[in-house]
Amino acid sequence: MVKFSKEGVKMEDKKPNLSRRGFLKAGVAAAAAGVIGAINPDVLKAENASLVSLDYASPANGNWCKLVPKVNYGGAAVRYAEHNDEWLGTSKIVGEVKNISEYDNGFTMAIRGELGEVPRWNYVTQGKRDPMASGFGYAIGFISTDQAVVGPPPRKEKLPVPDPEIMSKHIKDTCYYMRADEVGIGKMPPYAYYSHRISPTHGDYATGKVDPLLLMKEIPVTERLPYVICVAVEQHLETYLASTGYDGIAKSQSYRCYHASANISIMLAQYIRSLGYRARAHHFANYASVMGPILIACGMGELTRTGDCVAHPRMGFRNKVAAVTTDLPLVPDKPIDFGMLDFCRVCKKCSDNCPGKAISFDDEPVAYNGYLRWNSDFKKCAAFRTGNQEGFSCGRCIKVCPWSSKEDSWFHEAGVWIGSHGKQSASLLKQIDDMFGYGTEEITKYKWWLEWPELFPMPAGYPPTQTAQPTQTTQPSK
Amino acid sequence: MGTFLVFLAGILFLAGGLFLKTRAKHELKWRTILNWTLYVVWYAITWMGISFIYINASVGHVKATSTAIFLFLGISVVLAVILARLLGYIGVKKKSNESLQA
Repeated sequence: MVKFSKEGVKMEDKKPNLSRRGFLKAGVAAAAAGVIGAINPDVLKAENASLVSLDYASPANGNWCKLVPKVNYGGAAVRYAEHNDEWLGTSKIVGEVKNISEYDNGFTMAIRGELGEVPRWNYVTQGKRDPMASGFGYAIGFISTDQAVVGPPPRKEKLPVPDPEIMSKHIKDTCYYMRADEVGIGKMPPYAYYSHRISPTHGDYATGKVDPLLLMKEIPVTERLPYVICVAVEQHLETYLASTGYDGIAKSQSYRCYHASANISIMLAQYIRSLGYRARAHHFANYASVMGPILIACGMGELTRTGDCVAHPRMGFRNKVAAVTTDLPLVPDKPIDFGMLDFCRVCKKCSDNCPGKAISFDDEPVAYNGYLRWNSDFKKCAAFRTGNQEGFSCGRCIKVCPWSSKEDSWFHEAGVWIGSHGKQSASLLKQIDDMFGYGTEEITKYKWWLEWPELFPMPAGYPPTQTAQPTQTTQPSK
Repeated sequence: MGTFLVFLAGILFLAGGLFLKTRAKHELKWRTILNWTLYVVWYAITWMGISFIYINASVGHVKATSTAIFLFLGISVVLAVILARLLGYIGVKKKSNESLQA
């Protein structure tokens, strides 16, 4: 078998070249090492963590990991940004960022009926109305439990691991191997945890696992782990090219990637627990944290005009993500800056095209919960997505965003390179994007899915006569 | 197909260079440089256009394809006419006629 040194140098061709004096010295050293090893068994134990005994050679210096030596930013000019008390990447922190409660998010409000009767009953009957999303939802249902995301306790004895930098690269390789399209590691921002999560989860309501009239409980989130690993799975490009963004495939576009990223997060969390470290998966159907700040902390994008979607230089926000929080020793990546703020300042294509009129037209970000962002109306967004009568849900902003709507080609790479160089060049890219009709077109040759428009409206028999309101509890949660 | 187009572009670039070699050389050095520069720019824009049109058409971007046909091929034709004029392929009276008139 070919052996590698710690620096990754092939060792098979090395031939012994010892003088008689050197040979004697080596013999004495080997004997001494044997004696020390016999006296102190910890030396052998520590050796378990060496790269040789793990049969592992570290990636070359500067490589992202082994399976993806260089992270693909799709042509964008990417610079590193800071993660400190004043900045999270390119998001300016202007005060205390409070942990928000999942109880207050749009879908949760829809379930409670606070966005109207149609959004409420459309949301909880989506399994009946959308046959394909029902398929994904059914599969997601099995992995949405606390048992799936929190899992069993970690192995009692921590397995020795290579140094944190090498472990980070190994974790990235593991995620790509588990079919992630992109991965990043970050220092977990404490404000990224929810203050409270809800039980049952909104995934439980969406997938029909629970009675829609079941009372919703608010459970405090107490976990605080130092690192977070974030995985993204890309949404299907050709399907988006054929879709309006809010037709019969919109929800399945999301669910497909939610399911894939959830699977990765659960497998990864259990792998880390099996190494003896704490880990919790966070995914669409069972979150204890908000994905936006996590994505930024992991160097996977910048906050966009949509207010809560984070765009990646290559994929835009045409992806769905899941995360694993952990205390496994890792080296976090740095947040990135590729000029998205300047681009969003001049583009406004998502605002122009939002069917729910939910995305802000403001020129500059405004203060919100202690940081600056474009303050889109999340209630309007959730109300449109849950109340949509022309399809299921909505991802129109994803479809039209110039960063999200492209196939791989030299001119799109050139385009995002231009677009990542400030307001003037961003304006130029936006004009070129409009001139060539990208984003707003519908390429019908890719329309492969079936639609049953009679299923789009709220089904007969809803709203039911009996209604319920949620209550709050203070039961702690992991 | 993409690989074939790259190959074709390379071969045609060399062939075009050989074809223009005699006419591109001018008594004035700056005219020689201008001729070759224009040839390189014209060739690059033409093939950028062909590549752009080919990729967009294969993906199905109808507006991008039609816009690129007008934009890139339009620029290409204009540059080609200028180059042809500079190299003497068009717009130059035949000397034989002049001698006959004399």
